[in-house]
Amino acid sequence: MLTRMSTDSMKSTAAPASQTAGSDSSSSGRILIALRRRYLAATLSVVGGLALWEIISRFVVANALFLAGPAEIVVAIYHLAITGQLWHHIGVSAAEFALGYVIASALGIALGLAMASGATMKQALQPWVSGLYATPTIALAPLFILWFGIGIWSKVIVVISLVVFPVAINTEAGLRTTSERLIEMLRSFGATRRQIFLKVSLPSAVPFILAGLKLGIGRGLIGVVVAELFGSRAGLGRLISQSADAFNMPELFAGVVILAVAGIVMTAGFSRLEGKLVPWTRD
Amino acid sequence: MDAGLKMVVKVPKLTVSHLGKRFGDLDALRGIDLTIERGEFISVVGPSGCGKTTFLRIIAGLEPATSGEVLLDGRAVHEPAGDRGFVFQNDSLLPWRTVFDNAIIGREVSSGVGPAERRQTMELLKLVGLEGFEHYYPRQLSGGMRQRVNLARALAIDPEILLMDEPFAALDAQTREIMQAELLRIWERGQKTVLFVTHQIDEAVFLSDRLLVFARRPGRLQEEVKIALPRPRTLDIKRTGEFVSLTDHIWRLIEDDVRAAALYENA
Repeated sequence: MLTRMSTDSMKSTAAPASQTAGSDSSSSGRILIALRRRYLAATLSVVGGLALWEIISRFVVANALFLAGPAEIVVAIYHLAITGQLWHHIGVSAAEFALGYVIASALGIALGLAMASGATMKQALQPWVSGLYATPTIALAPLFILWFGIGIWSKVIVVISLVVFPVAINTEAGLRTTSERLIEMLRSFGATRRQIFLKVSLPSAVPFILAGLKLGIGRGLIGVVVAELFGSRAGLGRLISQSADAFNMPELFAGVVILAVAGIVMTAGFSRLEGKLVPWTRD
Repeated sequence: MDAGLKMVVKVPKLTVSHLGKRFGDLDALRGIDLTIERGEFISVVGPSGCGKTTFLRIIAGLEPATSGEVLLDGRAVHEPAGDRGFVFQNDSLLPWRTVFDNAIIGREVSSGVGPAERRQTMELLKLVGLEGFEHYYPRQLSGGMRQRVNLARALAIDPEILLMDEPFAALDAQTREIMQAELLRIWERGQKTVLFVTHQIDEAVFLSDRLLVFARRPGRLQEEVKIALPRPRTLDIKRTGEFVSLTDHIWRLIEDDVRAAALYENA
């Protein structure tokens, strides 16, 4: 996705007439039908999967201690919502995620910039960044809870430890892979190093930075939940572990479903943002 | 120091003396001497490996010379600056910038952008035939249109000399012919001094006042050919006997070198 940058789109050329005068209606009609077909398959797949789940939970497993069906989960979410518990759990988890994610993004971009600023800097930082990225730092969650307490800050730290490294690595990669041709073009006008950085390297790294941030969403959510499982007073992870202890499957699944929805919505929103911010990376 | 004095004396636009460039053991350029007068259109042709692109890059300041010097309006050239406009073989447009923002980037870098610069850039885009495309992105343009932006970008800094490195090499044959005619039209309007590097003999003859034939190993200036074809020129001139005999003459000059280069590259 990232490597398909400007070069590929060079082939797809368009004259202004076909752009402004609205392209051939039959071909756009065909595209619409194709799109509908694609969404149809996706919709059928999801609906079918949910139906299968419902059937299995009612007739095959049929044990409320092991599995909850989609209908029960919806009811559980509704009850949790009207008692207000749900909003409390979501609020705590969202705060942990947002704080950790924002701090990690800023730190990660700064770290990436530092790594791209010079060979020595990169050599010094690379082993730590690559090493910690590959390490399942989530395993340190109990330690962080011991150090920073049972409140939200231990979770924020866990989220940071999971999100900061992919962002740093992508930022550095984006700056490093800036096209030499483009740098030379700007240099031919007598540009300073600072101008080259601001006008070429940084904008061309933006798609990479966004990809790193997108990767961070999923990792951050995992961080929140797992850290909460290890010890917390509230949050969706807490809701899940509490429900598991009480064999309350509908509420356990309610927590999982809400996390899934959060992940899907945030990732999709991020993709839209990418389309707006870096339209030149689309085909 | 005595810049005022130099203004009075007629100084050539560009003077190249004893220019040499070595890459390790390779003699890329040796003993190039050349003067270009204001408003001249000069082409450099030669087989691959004759150092013609290196020559252009040294004048642009993108590459240091090993020996000799380059004077632009009597001042020695070492670094790239806003007095030379470079047109690249690949368009090197910034994909996140519109046509207009690409065209004005040289100004942004060298002198800053005000209403006057924006107006001039707009007029240049019109001159190169891109009126109405200011807000398009490079990915929405054809290869020929991208090269028009490339040209407008170099012209937008109002350079003393335009340095063009095989700008039409990547275009298809028809588009290339159109762009050649367009370039002449634009050049005749502004009378910029142009140094144009190409491997296409007919392109060089069609465009130039003078043609520099480079030879390879070491890269050197083999012969200078004056092109006395009348101006303004149209593409029809390519079918005249005079044009054909000129291109034949130049082809014979470089033929052996081209064959040798082809062999060397295939080996």
